[in-house]
Amino acid sequence: MESKESVIVVEDLVVAYGDHVVLDQVNFTVEPGEVFVILGGSGSGKTTLLRTLVGLIEPRSGRILFNGQDFTAMSGEELTAIRRKMGMCFQGAALLGSLSVADNVALPLREHTKLEESTIDIMTRIKLELVGLGGVEDYLPSELSGGMRKRAGIARAMAMDPVIIFYDEPSAGLDPIVAAGLDELIRTMQSTFNLTSVVVTHEMESVKIIADRVCVLHNGRVAGIGSMNDLETTDHPYIQQFFARLPDDSDIADPEYAKSLTNID
Amino acid sequence: MTGLFGRIGRGALNQLKAALEVSVLMVDTMVWLVVAPLKGLGFRWRNSVESFVEYGVRSLPIVAMISFLIGVIIALQASYTLDQWGANRYIADLVAVSALRELAPLMTAILIAGRCGSAITAEIGTMKVNEEIDALVVMGVNPNKYLVAPKFLAMVTAVPSVTALAMLVMIIGGWASSVFVVGVETEIYVTQTIGAIVEKDLLTGMVKSVFFGVAICWVGVYRGFQVEGGAEGVGRQTTASVVTSIFLIIIVDLVFTVLFYYV
Repeated sequence: MESKESVIVVEDLVVAYGDHVVLDQVNFTVEPGEVFVILGGSGSGKTTLLRTLVGLIEPRSGRILFNGQDFTAMSGEELTAIRRKMGMCFQGAALLGSLSVADNVALPLREHTKLEESTIDIMTRIKLELVGLGGVEDYLPSELSGGMRKRAGIARAMAMDPVIIFYDEPSAGLDPIVAAGLDELIRTMQSTFNLTSVVVTHEMESVKIIADRVCVLHNGRVAGIGSMNDLETTDHPYIQQFFARLPDDSDIADPEYAKSLTNID
Repeated sequence: MTGLFGRIGRGALNQLKAALEVSVLMVDTMVWLVVAPLKGLGFRWRNSVESFVEYGVRSLPIVAMISFLIGVIIALQASYTLDQWGANRYIADLVAVSALRELAPLMTAILIAGRCGSAITAEIGTMKVNEEIDALVVMGVNPNKYLVAPKFLAMVTAVPSVTALAMLVMIIGGWASSVFVVGVETEIYVTQTIGAIVEKDLLTGMVKSVFFGVAICWVGVYRGFQVEGGAEGVGRQTTASVVTSIFLIIIVDLVFTVLFYYV
């Protein structure tokens, strides 16, 4: 699967908190222009994987190559230069609460470029129009709805015209209509700018709409990688269970035992 | 017994780790404050001025009021003893020297620690909980450059500035109670005050206040970055920030008092 053109190559990645290994020998590649979804249940390590991919967590071992450069071995200005090519949309959007929506989107431009304020202003408006948020420039993040905040987060992630954009649980906590709108936005970004996207989610409905390829994580290991069609026909028990939305046996309480506890006949 | 040694060892290691983290924070802040602007990497002056207004200008009313009242109190307490010797004119000396060397810097620092040190912890802590700090890092914006360096410059200039005013107001407070309650003449009070103050008194107070500012800012920032686990964590670290700041202020005060005693 690995090719010279891969935007991201993850090799034998191990991430641990103390003695607790969260990700164990993870390997995959992300190809240019694809929407790559990291799918998994709660505690599977998918958010840890995403945070490692953007350099927020240092891996215990293994490598992450970004456009062929070893991201994990970098520091200082070299790392900052790489980060300018990345965009990240956090689960709660993570907009700076003290800044207006426009100032949030303009922040990377002000910090990393020497553009005139008027140019930054125009670019900010364009990015906000792109995510359907024209007219809210002067609002504070606290004055926006959850869906609007996530859109503003995407606009900020797009500010520096990144090579790759990471989304952490984009539809979490949103109603189905707003979530569907965000799915469409992710697809639009990909098709309009040929933007490589990595999406962490556990929402199967979203995955069916947005994913080109899916990586299923289970207990910190890759259970399977492929298109939705590939994974739907796989015989891996966890993937089958996940796709069929079946509970673990251990999660089901014996009804008779529950009744005996409550004394209800 | 093994458990006891284990706890002591772990405690020592944690303190060592904290000291290391604070040292890294200090060095990084100084780099972003001094070296980075010289290399053309910019400094958020506007943000620093805004913080100066918050820490300095907005602290003025409460600091001035407390300083005035303390001036009044010291003068009356001094009179209690000095009156027996007919030495009420020396109230001015006592108020001036204690205000400049000790009380104005200390009271100002404690008030700013409570008012602004806690606010710095709460601001950075909330940003950490909301992943705003992570967002800055991922955008390639150094949080120490963006958040800490402007606050640091603002704090180390605001505390001495407010202290200077507190010194003046404390002396005025002493004058008010000396003249209107004790019955010392204004002319005598002013002459005694001018005669009592030497350059070193002012220097002692101002040098202390700069380091009080350093302590308040770094404790506030460090505690903010230590926040874990949501709103409860923010509350816990904010309280810890004020307690640690006041403790450090007293330690810094002791160190400089001993230093100036011998120098």
